[in-house]
This record gives sequence, C-alpha cells and structure tokens, in this order.
Amino acid sequence: MSSIEIPMAMSGRAAPGITTFRVELVRILVLSLILLGLAWVYGKNPFILNILAYTFLFAGLSSAWNIIGGFGGQFSLGHGVFFAIGAYLTANLYLHFQISPWLALVPAAALAAVVAAAVSWPTFRLKGPFFAIATMAFNEVAFVLANYFETLTGGPRGLSLPFKAGLANMIFTNRFSYALLMLGFLVACLLVSAAVLRSRFGYYLQAVREDEDAARAAGIRVLQVKLLGMALSAALTGIGGALFAMYLRFVDPPTLLSLPDIGVKFALIALIGGVGTLYGPLAGALLIVPVESYLRAELGGMVPGTNLIVLGAVLILFALFMKRGLIGAGTALWQRLTSARPEGGGGG
Amino acid sequence: MSTFLNILVVGLLLGGIYGLVSIGLNLIFGVIRIVNFAQGELVMLGMYGAYFSYWLVGMDPYVSILVVVPALFVFGVLIQRFILQPLQNESMMQIFATFGLLLLLQNVILAITRGTGYTVPTDLSTVVIDIAGLKISLVRLIALFAVTAVAVGMSWFLKNTLPGKAIRAVTQDRRAARLMGINVELTFMLTFGMGAALAGLAGTLLAPIYTMSPQIGGNFILAAFAVVVLGGLGSVWGAFIGGFIIGLIEALAGYYLDPALKHAVWFLVFIAVLIVRPGGLFGIAGAEEVGLREQH
Repeated sequence: MSSIEIPMAMSGRAAPGITTFRVELVRILVLSLILLGLAWVYGKNPFILNILAYTFLFAGLSSAWNIIGGFGGQFSLGHGVFFAIGAYLTANLYLHFQISPWLALVPAAALAAVVAAAVSWPTFRLKGPFFAIATMAFNEVAFVLANYFETLTGGPRGLSLPFKAGLANMIFTNRFSYALLMLGFLVACLLVSAAVLRSRFGYYLQAVREDEDAARAAGIRVLQVKLLGMALSAALTGIGGALFAMYLRFVDPPTLLSLPDIGVKFALIALIGGVGTLYGPLAGALLIVPVESYLRAELGGMVPGTNLIVLGAVLILFALFMKRGLIGAGTALWQRLTSARPEGGGGG
Repeated sequence: MSTFLNILVVGLLLGGIYGLVSIGLNLIFGVIRIVNFAQGELVMLGMYGAYFSYWLVGMDPYVSILVVVPALFVFGVLIQRFILQPLQNESMMQIFATFGLLLLLQNVILAITRGTGYTVPTDLSTVVIDIAGLKISLVRLIALFAVTAVAVGMSWFLKNTLPGKAIRAVTQDRRAARLMGINVELTFMLTFGMGAALAGLAGTLLAPIYTMSPQIGGNFILAAFAVVVLGGLGSVWGAFIGGFIIGLIEALAGYYLDPALKHAVWFLVFIAVLIVRPGGLFGIAGAEEVGLREQH
C-alpha cells in the first residue's frame, strides 16, 4: 500500500510526481467532459444510459469510500448504512413532507456524517480486519433494524415513490438527465477527493494509514483525523444514497443494505481501480459496472449468478496479480514506456 | 418454567451449530491471522457435498463425512497455497481475495443448482427425543455432541502432537518458529486445510437440518465471526463456549424481545465485545493487534 507519492515540498511549488490541486482540477474537468460526451453519444439508448448512470453513481460512491478507506486506510464495509440513511431520509421527506430531494440532500449528508462519527468513535479502536468485521456487523444490524422499523422504512415491502416528473422532484422522464445528475455527483466527489488529497488534512490521513503510532508521535490527532475523514466520506455516501433513491424511486432493505451489492462493492471498485489513488475508483467503476450489468443482462437469465462469478474471479486475480489496481498497473506501464526513473518515494 | 427450559435447550442446540462452524474459522483466524470471509461458503460446500454423495450413490450424510471432510481438507490446502500464501502480510488484499472466493463459490453453486433448495434425508432427521416435555431434535443433538468431540479432539491435538505444537509455535511467533526449524508455510497449509475440513464436517452435519441454498453460508459466517470475537482469537474453547453464548442470546432475544430482532441483539453484543475487549473473553488481550504486525 505504498503507492502514494511522498510529498517532497509542502510549499507552493509541487515536487516532481506530485500534482497540485489546480492540475487535478483541469484533469477532472477534461475527464467529466469526456464522460459527458459519452453520455451524449448514447443519448438515445436507454440501456446504455442506465449503465452509464450506475457507473457514474458508483464511481462517485467509491470515490467517497476511498477518502476514508483509501487515503485513511480504514477498510470500512459499513458504508451501505450511510448510503441507506441518505436514501431513506430523502424518500421519507419527499413522501411525507413533500420536501424537494434537492433540499433533502443537506440533511441526508448531515445525518449520515453524524451517524458515521457516532458509530466510528468507538469502532476506530479496532484495526485492520477487526475494523472491517465490526463495520460489516454494523451493516447487518442496520439491515435488521430497517426491516423492523416499518414506519420509517416500509419494512421488507419497502417504499415506493410516485412518479411525478419535474426538476424540483428530481424525477425525469428521460434517462439522459439522470446520467447528468450522476455525473454531477461523480464530479463533486472527485473534486472533494482532490481537495482532500492535496490538503494538510489529506496528508494527515495518509500518515495515519501508513503508521498510526508514527503519525501520533508526529503530533497528528489520529482519532480526530479518522473521524473527520469518515464523516466526510459518509456525507458524500449519504448524498449518493439520496440520488439512488430518486433514480430507482423504490427503496427496500435488500437493495440498500446488501453487502455484496452495496457495502462491499464500494470498496471492491476502489480496490480494482487502485485504492488510495484519486482516479482509481472511477477506473474501477468504468471497468466493473458495465461488465457486471452486461453479464447480468445477457447471461443472468440463462445461468444465474454469472456476473458475480466473474466479479469473484476478477477480485482474486486482482488481489494476486494487480495489487495496485488499474491505476497502479497503468502508471507502472507508463513509466516503463517512457523509461523514466520513478521519482519520489513509492517503490512498493 | 418449562418454556424457559425449552428456550435454553433451543439456544444450546443452536450454540452447538454455531460452535461447530466457528472452530474452523477460529483456527484459521488465530493461526494464519486471515479473516476468511469464505468460511461460510466452505460450510455450504460441505452441505452440497453431502447432498451430492446422497444423490450419486444414496449415501447417508453421516457416512458422507468420510468423503466430504478429506475433500475439503485438500481444497483448503490448495486455497492457502495458491491464493492466500502469496498475499501474506497484506491483510487488505486477503480480505479482498477471500471475499472474491465467497462470491465465486456461492455463485458457481448457484449456477450449477439454479438455486433449487435441496435437503438430504436421513433416517434420523425426524427423530425427536422427549425428556420431561423438552423436545430435542436428534440431528441437532448430534451436532452438539460433535462440537464437543471436536473441541476436545482439537485441544488434545494442539497440545500433544508434533504438528499441533508446530501450529501453536507459529501462532505465538512466526519468526522464532521458523528459526526452530518449523516449516511455517507447511504449517499454514495444514491449518487452513484443517479449518476447511472442519467447515466440511459442519456442513455434512448441518445438511439434514437446513434446506440448502447457495447463500446459506451467510447465515453462519457472521454468527461465526461473533463467536470467534466473543470467545477469543485462536482459542478452541473460546469458540466452543462463545457458540453457546451466541446461541443462547439468539434464543432468549427471539422469545422475550422479538424474533425479528434476535440477530440485531447479538450483533450489538458482538460490537460491544469488540470495542470493550477486542481480545475476546478467553483470548489474550491485545492479540487482535498482533495480526497486523508484520510477521515474517
């Protein structure tokens, strides 16, 4: 996990191999224009637009996970809870109080962040696999509770949101608008990630990931940094959950809190793309979501579970042979092609 | 009073099942320090192995133990050798790989069986023992006896045999064990093989109790994690007793609180124990952090 460049100079000029926030801003702008163009080209094809919308959404969600999971090294499998909080809160506010989902994004993000901080405060005592198991158990508690408290969640039957098209309702008749919406979410997540990665706070997070004791010895308030990272990550995840609820217009416990489909998938996409890198989650989502959707649509009817067989095999192969994900492999290839000597620390 | 006793019996029998699944997980967890998310799927494979033996030659599930357990031992050795061994000291990648294994095994079985639920008949499955109004299902009682036998056998094996001593030495300090001439990699393969074999044993014994589905491993794995954490990392008796504690909590919460909430209750207990005493009730305090220290 030492794929992150080590900062050479904290002053205005960046060290070789380190990009400034301004450079990332340009990159994100170019990337989002390319993705927008992609959505534009397929603007008449609802099947592909649906896949693109999911790809953008999960790229954004995985980027959000990456803030605490990748930069901070806290392998959370409980992000489905924050996702569900955003979705249920938005659905309830819309159903019962006719509050526009756009406005509901604010309390959705806030509640997810508060719950994340409250739950993480004790669980951050645990490290590595123990933290992962505890967050996974947390997801399962949420699953049971979501089934139980029917007044808030509709229980196992779920909540359906009536179709009333309109910008204020965040409900659109064409899928292109949804793809745009998800793209906007992705860009927001990338911008926040870039800002975090190139800030003092981001370096604190990475220091905590590399060696918690050393970070503490260097004067970093470890718990505070981890809590802040988790809250930020959860807030973005809550917003993603809200958008997901408005896209599907249906929420129930299995769709929101399934471990393989939601909670773990954020982590898996990031890991496949390159955990702890800015564009890794996007790369992972661009690979995984379309492949999975395609397999589910093409083969799911004939042989159930094919998409997950492929996903499982991909996971094992990436863990064994591409530990640094698509971005890591791409960077290594680029370095070999340009035969430039690797700069900075790195060297894993 | 008799209701209460009945609940206790239900809880203990359930605890036997949880303990049976947990001992193998805890062995792997404690010795190799790998969180094997696919352990529930190994149990599932054991169940389908029992069904396959029945379907092929009409074998009774209790006889198929002789086939399924060695098969899973070999499978476990192969997983350790080819998937987990290359990932030593990378706990994140191990989580990742065992989760991939979970998805792979679950859905391969789903693709093969098309999700049909199977049960394996045995002459014993309908037998219910009635002791003063307490109804005890024989197949569950067999699971209870089996977990006791396994716990006794395992602790004897770890204490008195050379491979058992090697496993304990590797658990305590990998580097020192290596310096003493113990083949650490071989010990790990043996351990994972045994863990998988125990999962297979659990699967065959549970085959007459549950209707099989490819996802059934998920019912056990979280309970097994709770048991392992509760009982203590790497402790055989911890897993044994932890199984009963979780079983009893589930039965009591299911009756006195609400059946829908029983899982939430033991998850909360589990999280509480993780936070208050991460080493577990019978574990060594601080053991949970050793797994992250780089060992060579």
